[in-house]
Amino acid sequence: MADGGTGGRAVRDCVLALLLLSAGPPVYLSAQDSVRISEAQSVLAQLVETYGVSGTEGPVREAVKRLLPSWAKSETDTAGNLWVRVGQGSPVVVVIAHLDEIGFRVTGIRDDGTLELETRGGFISSLFEAKPALVHTDQGDIAGVFLPRDSGFTRHTPPPLRVDVGAGSRAKAMARGVNPGQTVTMPKQYVRLSGTRATGRSFDDRVGATAQLIALRRLDRAALKHQVIFIWSVREEIGLEGAAAAAAALGTTPRRVHAIDTFVSADSPIELPNFAVAPIGRGAVARALDNSSITPPAYVDSLVQVARARGVALQVGTTNGGNDGSEFTPFGVVDVPIGWPLRYSHSPAEVIDLKDVVSLADMIRAVAETW
Amino acid sequence: MKARRTAAVLTLLLSASPTVRLSAQGDVDRLALRFASMTAATGLEQAMVDSLQALFPGSTRDHAGNVTLTLGQGSPKRLFTCPLDEVGYVVGNILPDGFLLLRRVGGGGAGRTASPLFDQQLEGHRVTVFAARGAVPGVVAVKSTHLTRGRGAPGAPDPVFTVDNAYVDVGASSAAEVQGLGIAVLAPVSLAKRPQLYGERLLAGPVAGRRAACAALAAAVQAKPKVKGTVVVAFTVQSLYASNAGLASVKALLGPFDDIKTAALPARYADTAVETVALADADRLVREILQWMEGR
Repeated sequence: MADGGTGGRAVRDCVLALLLLSAGPPVYLSAQDSVRISEAQSVLAQLVETYGVSGTEGPVREAVKRLLPSWAKSETDTAGNLWVRVGQGSPVVVVIAHLDEIGFRVTGIRDDGTLELETRGGFISSLFEAKPALVHTDQGDIAGVFLPRDSGFTRHTPPPLRVDVGAGSRAKAMARGVNPGQTVTMPKQYVRLSGTRATGRSFDDRVGATAQLIALRRLDRAALKHQVIFIWSVREEIGLEGAAAAAAALGTTPRRVHAIDTFVSADSPIELPNFAVAPIGRGAVARALDNSSITPPAYVDSLVQVARARGVALQVGTTNGGNDGSEFTPFGVVDVPIGWPLRYSHSPAEVIDLKDVVSLADMIRAVAETW
Repeated sequence: MKARRTAAVLTLLLSASPTVRLSAQGDVDRLALRFASMTAATGLEQAMVDSLQALFPGSTRDHAGNVTLTLGQGSPKRLFTCPLDEVGYVVGNILPDGFLLLRRVGGGGAGRTASPLFDQQLEGHRVTVFAARGAVPGVVAVKSTHLTRGRGAPGAPDPVFTVDNAYVDVGASSAAEVQGLGIAVLAPVSLAKRPQLYGERLLAGPVAGRRAACAALAAAVQAKPKVKGTVVVAFTVQSLYASNAGLASVKALLGPFDDIKTAALPARYADTAVETVALADADRLVREILQWMEGR
């Protein structure tokens, strides 16, 4: 999810009480649920362990294509978005999750071989300081380290980050295949935590991408009453650019768009509880108000009815950030974003509950088949 | 910190005199990677001590926890040491909602560490809790980027992260679930160790310098040197806590020694999660240790 720092339509300081439709005891797993959890983990782990900084989403797009059901016909548009169209007729509904993740881009190489960087997306730079780094090249990843600061030790925020690949000179760095324009991240790994929880980096928005894949796999195509377009978009974290291209291509044709993206949750002892307190493990979240869009209340009500009719856990709330669907609203398309609660967003240690991934996939399927 | 720096303990300086060839350069690399992957919070080094004992059949563990082995016999009687331990953390409290709080172990008195940013390295990163039934992965909570937007006044203070702000999330929802994982107060906690090789045989990781130095000592022992007199090799504990009790214990139990040396290597980015050591330096250290042991 874009952090909303660049959104011109940002609504700031929004405070809205969170309505927890599924408040109460946690959801317990049946044997069937366990199968679903395993399926979600299997897909998600593959996507999380694939790298794709904004603008270089190719590896993630290819991973999504490999995981599509065999019947799905995909196409990639000129922006790099991946499309799968299902069903026929009006009203057209769009479901969109983004492929990219936050990271860095090499902007220069100093005489001593260290790399100067610019950020791609919004995050807390101290979380990368003095940590392992990976430079992504066409010939493979090159290992290095994000340099620790050499001054300013009393401040939380470091000076602009650089990377050392151990080259010692610009010439040696370039001889190893490092060049300006390449992207940089840190190594990441999907790790299961206690119960049905898991940690990793780039759950935003690999979870959304996963949920769309699982929904497609389980979709009853015969039940569709209209066309549904599934899109895996690019460059969301740097300004919803892929979604903008898709929205322009579709124009006024769609009736609704469902951005499938993170619901940044304050479900943590260090967050303010004013809003966004959607607990992880309690299901998907209708992201009724964020920094880029407000869902018309009647549409929120309809989404809740769909969830109830299908027995899917759904919370309703408000959080910060922007979503891809907001690029469609200028064309008269109603944005009804659906999220999943995430702790510690845009950090190397994001935490989710796999039950929410299942719930999210079920919501997408329900929306496609019944709304 | 009350650690005494005994004048007789000299750091073996590196030199480039390749008179002894190792059976395989890869031995040092393999051992350095292996040791850098281990966690040994000072005073809580048992797991790494177990690994070293397995590596060196015939070695012994004293009551303090040091691993020692004796090579050769007769005079002179000399000691070569390597400290195993690191500044670390233990679980200090378990909250009703399943989060863990930490206390730091080692790193100097009055809660001071070598770097004011030492604890900040935990924030928003994966950690390992060494529970009674095995390693449990967790993360240290960090504020979500999105939720900080618009909430900080321009020019607001920007304080560093301290261990008192470290809430460890192992995915549990209750204290009972935490206990079910075998986690109790005093369980050791460290950053998840994933040492990284980069450049030309550079090894990055927490305490990589210490671990590569210990790897060099281990590789020298594995090379089966023909020692002059008696050489006691000691992988020592608790060098970073209070009175360096590990080394003192070795000297009290196995001394006196005619000479004492400590394995050490220069490191870049010291005290960070990417402390970096050149494995070529470790090669040279192995040669130096072998020369010293053989009295050449």
